[in-house]
Amino acid sequence: MIELRNVSLKYGDREILKNVSLTIKDNTIKAILGPSGVGKSTILKLMLGLIKPNSGQVIVDGTDITCMKERSLYSIRRKMGMVFQGNALFDSLTISQNLGFFLRENLKLPEAEISQKVAEQIQFAGLEGYEDQLPESLSGGMRRRVAIGRALIFKPHMILFDEPTAGLDPVSSKKILSLISSLRHNNNLGAVIVTHIIDDVFHVADSVAVLYQGEIIFDDVTEKLHEAEHPFIRSILSDKILEL
Amino acid sequence: MGNENEKPTFTRMKTEDSTASEPHPTLFMPLTVIKSLENKLVLQLKDFFLTMQEFFLFSLRAFMAFPKMIRYWRDVFDQATICGTDSIPIVLVSAISIGALLAIEVGNLLEDFGAKTMLGRSTALSVIRELGPLLMGLMLSARFGSRNGAELGAMQISEQIDALRAFGTDPIAKLVMPRLVAALIMFLPLTALSDFAGLQSAAYMAEHYHRIDPGIFWNAVYPRLAPKDFVVGFLKAPVFAVIITLVSCFNGFSARGGTAGVGRSTIKGIVVSSGLVLIANFYVSKIVLENM
Repeated sequence: MIELRNVSLKYGDREILKNVSLTIKDNTIKAILGPSGVGKSTILKLMLGLIKPNSGQVIVDGTDITCMKERSLYSIRRKMGMVFQGNALFDSLTISQNLGFFLRENLKLPEAEISQKVAEQIQFAGLEGYEDQLPESLSGGMRRRVAIGRALIFKPHMILFDEPTAGLDPVSSKKILSLISSLRHNNNLGAVIVTHIIDDVFHVADSVAVLYQGEIIFDDVTEKLHEAEHPFIRSILSDKILEL
Repeated sequence: MGNENEKPTFTRMKTEDSTASEPHPTLFMPLTVIKSLENKLVLQLKDFFLTMQEFFLFSLRAFMAFPKMIRYWRDVFDQATICGTDSIPIVLVSAISIGALLAIEVGNLLEDFGAKTMLGRSTALSVIRELGPLLMGLMLSARFGSRNGAELGAMQISEQIDALRAFGTDPIAKLVMPRLVAALIMFLPLTALSDFAGLQSAAYMAEHYHRIDPGIFWNAVYPRLAPKDFVVGFLKAPVFAVIITLVSCFNGFSARGGTAGVGRSTIKGIVVSSGLVLIANFYVSKIVLENM
């Protein structure tokens, strides 16, 4: 379980998050919805301890990671997989090297076991035959699937998706969303999805938090979003895609 | 009518009185400008000291990652190839050019004093103590430094560095330490190569341009070179390695704002490291020559 308690964050004079509180339970999919540049990706980075809040607490599985040192955070981070918005694949490494990178880096596993795990992820992502290609030679959807495979290879409890369908064509978006849905059903994984596309929320999320001007203005099960009366939520429900 | 005529006169007088008692708005302008300049200067100083603090901690972490050298030996080897073997052509071209030019100019000057036989001595001192290491440093600042800045900047912008951290890898140990170790190892032989190429080209020009016998040239070089001449030259190699690698990597890690940000951080890395190389060159020479 991941918990944000009264988290506030400032970049210079700009207040990004104001007293944000959120809870993400295990084996559930939570969406964080909001317009671009409002601080949604920042929440994911706070959950991983990549950035520190100015005030408040970030708690992962009962451990307060807010003031943890970088070295101590590594074991916490392995409980979560992260799929970055731009995929963040290492462009000098092949697909199979990208998938196996963190196993080679952090776990002292025999090469045969690493190869087997990589093969499993290649199969899961439907990328057979692309093992030796560089990321640049793949399509956007394929790269996203490699990034998901890389996040899954550690067998984390929770996966954090930063705009999983942004920049993808409708077919690829649908494939990615199906992949995310299947994760919970087949692997018992929880997920946090940061998005500005409201259809994605209704497609996969059990609950949704709406971030607006640095504050959470809605946090409940997805179905109740239609009942929300906040003018911003009303407007996004009619526009579907947030382009603010 | 008479009353109506008086009113404006009274009002104007009052206005004149009030402006006379308060300073004219234009008098505030220099004060406002000074105040804003002062604020700007304070902010810039604050930024500078914060950056220095970050740079110090970054450098400390890079040195503290040295025990992980064995784990990342492949990266060290790759970086040694990039900053060492791949840099040989540019180091050779610059050393040969400057050696030849130095021999021609210094030879012409010595000819006026009838001391052309001292050409070997003067070029050897200039090349080994100063020009060999300095040119190598500047060339590597441009080649190795710019590569570090651009590569790490692009990784920062595309969140690859965040990805390393997110999956439990220390990016400084993985990306900076191997570059630092490789530079510390490779800058020494590159300095030697630069010295050798510079002297050889000087000897060639001495023979073919100034018609000095090679024996006379080399006799003026070797017996007269003291250990301190080599210490001055070769001590600069690790100093330059640390400056170039840490400054360029730090700027790469600090890249913000898309591809333009990568460009800015790369340029900043080259400019700052080149400037620091020139300053360090002066101080290393001064300190060693004064104390040996």
